[in-house]
Amino acid sequence: MKEERRYKSGLIPSLNPFGFNIERWSYTVHRATGVILVGYLTAHIFETFQLGAGSAAWANTMAALRSLGPLEMVGLWIVAGSALYHGANGIRLILNEVFGKLMGKPILPVYPYSPTSLGRNQRVAVWTITAVVLLLWAWAGLYLLAGLGVI
Amino acid sequence: MGEPLEDRGNSLMKESWNMLLTYLTAAALVFVLTFHLLLQSPLVGKAFEDTLSFGVATGNLVYYRVVFGLLLVTAVIHGFNGVRVLVLEWLHPTKMGWLLNLVILVLMAFLLAVGTVTLVVVH
Amino acid sequence: MDSVTLKVARTGLTRASYELKYRKGMTVLDALIEVRERQDSTLGYRHSCRMGICGSCGMTIQGVPRLACQTQVSSLNSDTITVEPLHNMTVIRDLVVDIGPFFRLHRSVKPYLIRNDIQERDHSEREYRVLAEEVRRFLQFDYCIMCGLCYAACPTAALDPMYTGPQAITQAYRYMADPRDEGWEQRVDLLDTTHGVWRCHMAGACSFVCPKDVDPAKAIQMARMEILKKRILRKKGKPGSRPVAPSAPGQGKPGTKAPPFDFAEGRTKET
Repeated sequence: MKEERRYKSGLIPSLNPFGFNIERWSYTVHRATGVILVGYLTAHIFETFQLGAGSAAWANTMAALRSLGPLEMVGLWIVAGSALYHGANGIRLILNEVFGKLMGKPILPVYPYSPTSLGRNQRVAVWTITAVVLLLWAWAGLYLLAGLGVI
Repeated sequence: MGEPLEDRGNSLMKESWNMLLTYLTAAALVFVLTFHLLLQSPLVGKAFEDTLSFGVATGNLVYYRVVFGLLLVTAVIHGFNGVRVLVLEWLHPTKMGWLLNLVILVLMAFLLAVGTVTLVVVH
Repeated sequence: MDSVTLKVARTGLTRASYELKYRKGMTVLDALIEVRERQDSTLGYRHSCRMGICGSCGMTIQGVPRLACQTQVSSLNSDTITVEPLHNMTVIRDLVVDIGPFFRLHRSVKPYLIRNDIQERDHSEREYRVLAEEVRRFLQFDYCIMCGLCYAACPTAALDPMYTGPQAITQAYRYMADPRDEGWEQRVDLLDTTHGVWRCHMAGACSFVCPKDVDPAKAIQMARMEILKKRILRKKGKPGSRPVAPSAPGQGKPGTKAPPFDFAEGRTKET
C-alpha cells in the first residue's frame, strides 16, 4: 500500500515535545535514554568479555578507554543518568500501564476540564522522579567526575 | 461494520505476552541493576577507579555470578525488545515483520552467548 | 493588543501572513473567517458549529492541536499566531486534512454494541436497563466528538501510521466497559495486536489536547488492564460486570417508577 505523506509526521516530530505536557517530555527522554542504554549495554557486554580473556586483555581495554580522556567519565556519567531516569520513569509507567494507578477513575467531565490521568497524582510522580534522579545523578557525578578536576 | 485493516505485522506471540515480558524484565532490572551500580559505587568502601581493577571486577563476577547472569538476561531481553518496538513503530513493516523479529532474536542470542561465555570463563 | 498576525501554512506557499485588528473575545476561527471574508477568499479550512461540539475546526495552533473555535486569541499570549493543518494527517488543501484514515481506524474497533443473540438485537421488544454507577464507568469516554486532536498529538501516531490511535482505542474501551455489550473478547483481540494498544507509551498528549475531557490516556491504560486480565488471569467474558439482558416484564413500562437517584453522589440510592 503506497503510504501517503502525512503532515509533520515521522521520527523527529514524534520526539518533539515542545508545547505539550510534562509526560510527553518524559516520553522523549525515556526513548532517548533507552537508546543510549542499549548502545552502552552492547558495548559493555563486549568490554566485560575481555575479563574472561585475562588480565592483559583487560588492561588493554582499560588503556583504550583511558585514551578517550575526560570523555570516558563524562560518557559514563551520561549513561548513569540515563539508567537512573529510564529506571525511575519506567516504574511510573508500570504503575500506570499495568496497575492503572495514578490514572484516576472515570468521571463526569465538568468544565474547565482537567484530565485525571494528568492530574495531581501523575504530576507528583513525575516531579518526584525528576528530583530524585537529578539528586542521584549529581551524586554520581561527584565520584565519576571528581578525578577530572571538573568539580 | 468493523473494517479489517491491512496486515498489522507478524508476531511470534500475542503482543500482550511480549509486553508482559518487557514489564517483568523491567521490574527485575530495577533490582539487579541497582545491585550492580552499588557494587561499582564508593558505598562498598572502594573508590570507583578501584572497582575497575582486574581483581575486583573478576571477583564481583565470580562471587555474584547468578545475579550478573540475571542482569545479562533481563537487560538484553528488555533492551532489544525496546529496540524491536522502536523499529516496528518507525518502519512499520507489513510483510517483513517476521524478518525484524528474526534479526532481534539473533542479536539477543548473540549477546546472551557472549555474556554467558564471560560469566562461565571468568575465575 | 491592537492587532494580531495570522501565519497560516498554505498549500503551495511557504506561509501566508494576515494582519487583523484584534477584537476582545476573538477566537482563532473568528480570525480565519475574517481573513477569508475580507482579505483572501481562497483560504481553505473546515468549521461548522463554532461552539466546540462538532470537532470540524481542529488545527495546529502555536504547535499544539486545538479547536479553532475554542481557542481565544488572547489566551495564546502572542501577537503572531501560527496556524497549520493537523499533524499526522494528509493535507488536502491549506488547513483541510484527509480525516478518512482516522475514521477508518475508528470503524476497525467495532464501535457499536455487540449482542450475541441476533434475533433479540434485530427485533428487541424491551430496553436494556443499566445502573447509573455502571454508566459512570464509560460515560466520560462517550463524550468523544471525533475531532482528531488526540490522533494529531500522539507521538506514536506520528511515527506509526498503522497505530490504532487514542480515539479508536478509547471507543473500543467505551464498549468494553458497557455492561450491555457482549463483544468484549472480540475487542480484546482487536486491540491486542502489534500496532494496537501496546504501542501507547503514556505520553498523555491525547488527554492534554482533548477539548471534551474524554481522557483517552486513561481509557487506553484501562483497556490494557482488561487485556492483561484476560491473558494472564484467563478470565472468560468481561470481568467485574453483571450481564445485562433486556428488562423483565413489568419493568420500564409507562407508569412504573425508576429507582431513586442520588444526584449528589451520582448513583442510584440504596433502598
